[in-house]
Amino acid sequence: MAKIIGGIGTSHVPTIGLAYDKKRQNDPAWAPLFKGYLPVANWLAEKKPDILLFFYNDHANSFFFDCYPTFALGVSPSFEMADEGGGRRPLPDIKGHPQMAAHLADSLVNDEFDMTIFQDKALDHGCNSPLALMWPHEPVWPGAILPIAINVLQYPLPTPARCFKLGKAVRRAVESYPEDLKVVIVGTGGLSHQIHGERTGFNNTEWDEEFLRLIVDQPEKLTSMRHADFIRLGGAESVEVIMWLAMRGALDEKINCVHKNHYLATTTNMAVAIYEQAGARDISKLTPKVADEGGV
Amino acid sequence: MNPQLIGVDDIGGTYVFDVTKSVKALRLNRFFWRIREPAFRELVIQNLQGAFDELHLNAEERGLVEQSDWLGLVQYGVSFFVLEKFARVQKISNLTVYASMRGETLEEFLMTRRVPGSA
Repeated sequence: MAKIIGGIGTSHVPTIGLAYDKKRQNDPAWAPLFKGYLPVANWLAEKKPDILLFFYNDHANSFFFDCYPTFALGVSPSFEMADEGGGRRPLPDIKGHPQMAAHLADSLVNDEFDMTIFQDKALDHGCNSPLALMWPHEPVWPGAILPIAINVLQYPLPTPARCFKLGKAVRRAVESYPEDLKVVIVGTGGLSHQIHGERTGFNNTEWDEEFLRLIVDQPEKLTSMRHADFIRLGGAESVEVIMWLAMRGALDEKINCVHKNHYLATTTNMAVAIYEQAGARDISKLTPKVADEGGV
Repeated sequence: MNPQLIGVDDIGGTYVFDVTKSVKALRLNRFFWRIREPAFRELVIQNLQGAFDELHLNAEERGLVEQSDWLGLVQYGVSFFVLEKFARVQKISNLTVYASMRGETLEEFLMTRRVPGSA
């Protein structure tokens, strides 16, 4: 059966992609950000997941307000990267997984999540900004992506609790897929930022620290918050951290944060974290109790 | 009223993009959205009035675009995520747009940031 081996929370700021394409990895203004992703790349290289299941949002690129889905699942065999108005990023297309996607669609709809299904739609910086830092991709990406787009642009947005429940339903769907595939769940967005109106430039790194604590230990506190609370505490566009809650819902009740980094340069506190299932550590290497040797 | 948004009006300097705004500004949002298409992008650069005509924008909408009134556009009902595509054809960074919405120059805005050198 397919298995969820862990989760990643990550920002998806477009300027991360821009800095990557301009090779600013060693620029002192950007190095703290890029260094924060090295443990993520190493972790993925070690764990070798077959699939990254991405909770992301489309930034009015592949979807427009003539028909903007609340939850949408990408089922294509392959995804292009979007031209967001300034030309396409120099990244290769990435494989999808139509077989698992079809299973997810069946499972989620029967689990009362009535997903929109999309094909032939490009992925924008909601996916590709962090993806390029996490997975090597020349000449090809090492695995497939299963994108699930969440509406965080046009209110009413799905509630934080609903996103958490979607994560739980995604877990049931993944774990009922018959093939032995390793899946990592990625929740994208945030952390604190506001990029419209006179309140543009708002940040709150203290709240971001608290969010990073709560997402591990008390996600139910976050699911009981309203969108207005996220706007007040973290800035208007930080409400997109509800996509981290979808990721969190797909993980064990207890998880370990094995890496985290956040870096605020201009307008967004850019964060990344790795979460392992609490039972996922290799217990075979732990020293057995003495009593075991006595044949109790 | 969306119960998730109770209290949001008290925050200030924040404009929720909701269904009502989306209906009001659909043509204008589509104008910016279509900048993803290379041919329309070229039309916006070469013949802005022609691009306006194609989307049947009204006089108020045309004025806001012509003046690059970023804050006014958001207040009118434009989603920031289509607006930033217009910044791309104008060859200006999002940071310049942010500064404008605060009533600041880019230099003034960067002075308030932790790492201005990352711009």
